[in-house]
This record gives sequence, C-alpha cells and structure tokens, in this order.
Amino acid sequence: MAFTATLSTDADIATIYLAGELDASTAPDFHEAIDDAAATGAGRLVIQAADLTYIASAGLRALVFARQKLGDDIVIVITGATEPVIRVIRMAGLDRSFEMTSS
Amino acid sequence: MPRIPASLEALDEVAGYVHALAERAGLPASRAHRLRLAADELATNIVVHGYRETKGELGVEGGVEDESVWLRFEDDAQPFDPRDGLQTPEQDVPVAQRRIGGLGVYLALTALDGFTYERVAGRNISTLRIRRDGAT
Repeated sequence: MAFTATLSTDADIATIYLAGELDASTAPDFHEAIDDAAATGAGRLVIQAADLTYIASAGLRALVFARQKLGDDIVIVITGATEPVIRVIRMAGLDRSFEMTSS
Repeated sequence: MPRIPASLEALDEVAGYVHALAERAGLPASRAHRLRLAADELATNIVVHGYRETKGELGVEGGVEDESVWLRFEDDAQPFDPRDGLQTPEQDVPVAQRRIGGLGVYLALTALDGFTYERVAGRNISTLRIRRDGAT
C-alpha cells in the first residue's frame, strides 16, 4: 500500500507529513524521515497524521525511536490522527508519551 | 487454502483478504480494523521471526460463523508460538527508556476476541477470532 513520509522545515519546526499505511514494510521510510528531522536540529517535531489511514507496531516503534532519538527537550506533536491510528497508539499505552492534537 | 509468499511486501494481500472477509461478515469498521491489525502483526511475525525473512509460504484462510469471524494462518517455518514473544507495554517506564520488542503480539492479542496456536504435522497453525456482535 502506498505510504509517504515527507519532511519540511520552517524556522524551528520540523514537520513530517504522513500519508497512507504505516506498517512493517513502510516503517523504514518514516524512520529515515525522523533521522533527517533530527539532523535539522529543530526544537519541535510535528507529525501530521490526518492522511495516515493505518498504523501497525512497526510504526509505533518508529514513534518511540523518535522520542528516544530527539531527547526530552524536543516537543513531538502528533496532529490530526484518525480513529484507527489513535486506537492503536492508545492500545500500546503511548498516548501519554506524545502531545496529540486534533488538527 | 490460498497461499501467499511469506514476505513483508506480500502482506498487503493479507490486508485485502481480511478486508473482504470483514465485509462479508458485516463487521463494523472498528472490529474490521482490529482483525486487520491482528492479522498484520501476526503475519509480520511469521515472516520476520518464523521464516526469519527466508523464502516461505503463508497459507491464509477465513470464514464467517454465526457468532464470530475466524482467520487462520498456516506456515511450515520452525515451531513458533507468537505468544512466547508477548510483552505487556511497560506503562510505568518513561517511553525514552522503554523496551520496544513484543509490541506487535501484544497489540494482536489485545485486538482479538480469541486466539489459538497449534503445531500440527510440522506446521504452525494460528487461528484468530473476532466476535460479530456485542461491544466494539
């Protein structure tokens, strides 16, 4: 299934726009975008998830990797996540580890 | 039993099969999603930990009964009970220090209403079940 992870930066904010299905076969692309985002040195990472239709544990592992890679000083915000994505993040007990906003 | 190559790239076929099965059973979206997630995680495990990404085949079959929808995976990789890798997320451990193995099996078993594993005649057989009625 098609998946894209697109990084853009604006001032001190790095944004990764996710679209499609994030599973074991597509998670490496997200992982790479997180590495690139970390390299920008931005103080805030926004993950735009409104067009992310599915996430599996491989995607959650990438989110945990982002948290571990960026360290506690950098805020990670997940915006606009859809119901199936929110449900999986909650099932894994990760909803308290990231700031989640509706848009 | 329909068979697909045991590779991560082929798992879209599992998703497609589950989607059609859920539709046939008239599962509401939330239950269809739970079945798809569990099927995806367990099939990924068979590819990665069962066959260790060597060549193999994965049999996929499913059906609709009065009370539940079932989906069965069969493979001839080494004996592999997915429940052996189960780890409950360490909710009390900050995410920065959390171990991140075993999450897929945890999600799969949490998502399902029933799961059985058997080793029969050199094959691993996993059966996944989702109820058709009751709470979502």
